[in-house]
Amino acid sequence: MFLYTREAHPGEHFPAHRSFEQKLAHARAFRERFAVERPILVDDLAGTGHRLYGLLPNMTYLIGRGGRVLFRADWTDAAAVEAALAYLRGARARRREGLRLKPFYAEFVGHRWSDQAAFDAGLEVAGPQAVADFAQAMARWTQGGQVPGRVATGEEG
Amino acid sequence: MGQPDQVEAYNYSVFEGTDDFLAFRLALPVGSQAPDVAATVADTGEPVRLSDYWRDRDLLVEFGSLT
Repeated sequence: MFLYTREAHPGEHFPAHRSFEQKLAHARAFRERFAVERPILVDDLAGTGHRLYGLLPNMTYLIGRGGRVLFRADWTDAAAVEAALAYLRGARARRREGLRLKPFYAEFVGHRWSDQAAFDAGLEVAGPQAVADFAQAMARWTQGGQVPGRVATGEEG
Repeated sequence: MGQPDQVEAYNYSVFEGTDDFLAFRLALPVGSQAPDVAATVADTGEPVRLSDYWRDRDLLVEFGSLT
């Protein structure tokens, strides 16, 4: 499922939401433009759901039956989600076979493909302002020597 | 819903790139009960709650926007 939040990179074509109807229209445009097949839900205009789950632009959560968080990532990466699902399926299968398994807390570093061409194309869909604002933010990050959300691994290329 | 100025601040019109990734790491660790919130089905306008989707099965949720 997809939960539609505020516009991360508002621009002339898809500006910041000023009404819920506008947000709903953007969510429907998102389905059309990217042929999204998953159900799309729309958060309220104040971002109530988005805030409660961490306020980042492209998070993924896996929530187990009953509502416990089983996996979360600050960016969406299909390979990371697949790995988490495969692990979960394996653990459940072993438990069904009678193996005694104890749940524990774990973290890992994700590695998502930085598809610059696709990202730039997305900004252009939003509009020239989105392109310009991102360029300015990038300049500030470069000046500050740190890109938000980057995890140091010692093997950056 | 928050105050009008808070709603406008949330729906910023200029991307500044100040997202707080460290705060995310501390919020809602695995094992937490996921917050149940109201939402609207994009296609139909039907009001739903996230718990409607995790009551009987696992739920994978991606957050995002067109932009």
